Amino acid sequence: MKVQVLFFGATADETGEREIEISLEENVKANRAFAEIVENFPQLKNHKLLFALNQEYVGGDEIIKDGDELAVFTAVSGG
Amino acid sequence: MNWQYLQPSAEAETFIIEHLSFIELFNNKCSMINEKGFFELTTETIDVGEIARRVVPANCGATVTLDGYVRQFTSGRETLYLVYEGYEPMALKEMEKLIGKARGQFEIENVGIAHRLGKLEIGETSVCIAVAAPHRRAAFEACEWLIKELKRTVPIWKKEVYRDGEIWIEGEK
Repeated sequence: MKVQVLFFGATADETGEREIEISLEENVKANRAFAEIVENFPQLKNHKLLFALNQEYVGGDEIIKDGDELAVFTAVSGG
Repeated sequence: MNWQYLQPSAEAETFIIEHLSFIELFNNKCSMINEKGFFELTTETIDVGEIARRVVPANCGATVTLDGYVRQFTSGRETLYLVYEGYEPMALKEMEKLIGKARGQFEIENVGIAHRLGKLEIGETSVCIAVAAPHRRAAFEACEWLIKELKRTVPIWKKEVYRDGEIWIEGEK
């Protein structure tokens, strides 16, 4: 199944990507999926990362579904 | 909650309804409002007084307004300008949650939050939070709580551009 992965700010700069499509195995949990993404972009490991699934912060146990929107970004700094 | 939009261009409506696309697709501003308050993202100048006036119901006696603006010197280092980037649909959702939580915790009547995106010069307002309450103490407390939580949870990032380089600021996780 395919999902979208979005990057912002520092993670977009580090990966050189803003949006990619990746393939994941069916019924994979969110924490596993995000670990896989970070493994593919090891430069992200130098950052304090946050993860979102369909525009909500992830707990980790959510099951990823086909077409979901994942996002990887650094600890936020608005204000 | 039944949120409605200000300045509902066709593109903005599509944006809000679908919560999917990005700020480039609409008219520089995305604003959601109902009787409980409003929140918006904009690439245009924020008028702090206008935000404050919009939150005042008849039973209120105090509005506390935070004007967060671009600092020129941070720990002695000079900033030339800032660039803010947001994960817009999620940022709007998180702002909506903050307003709901603040209204549950504090004796307040109305809240308005506006956050700027894009390039900001020194002194320009990056965030404005206005809280109206029957009595001032609750408004002060809610405003402080809202900015603290916004800086922790709303997915917006700040890039500081210096004479000799630039860096994306990372918050406390």
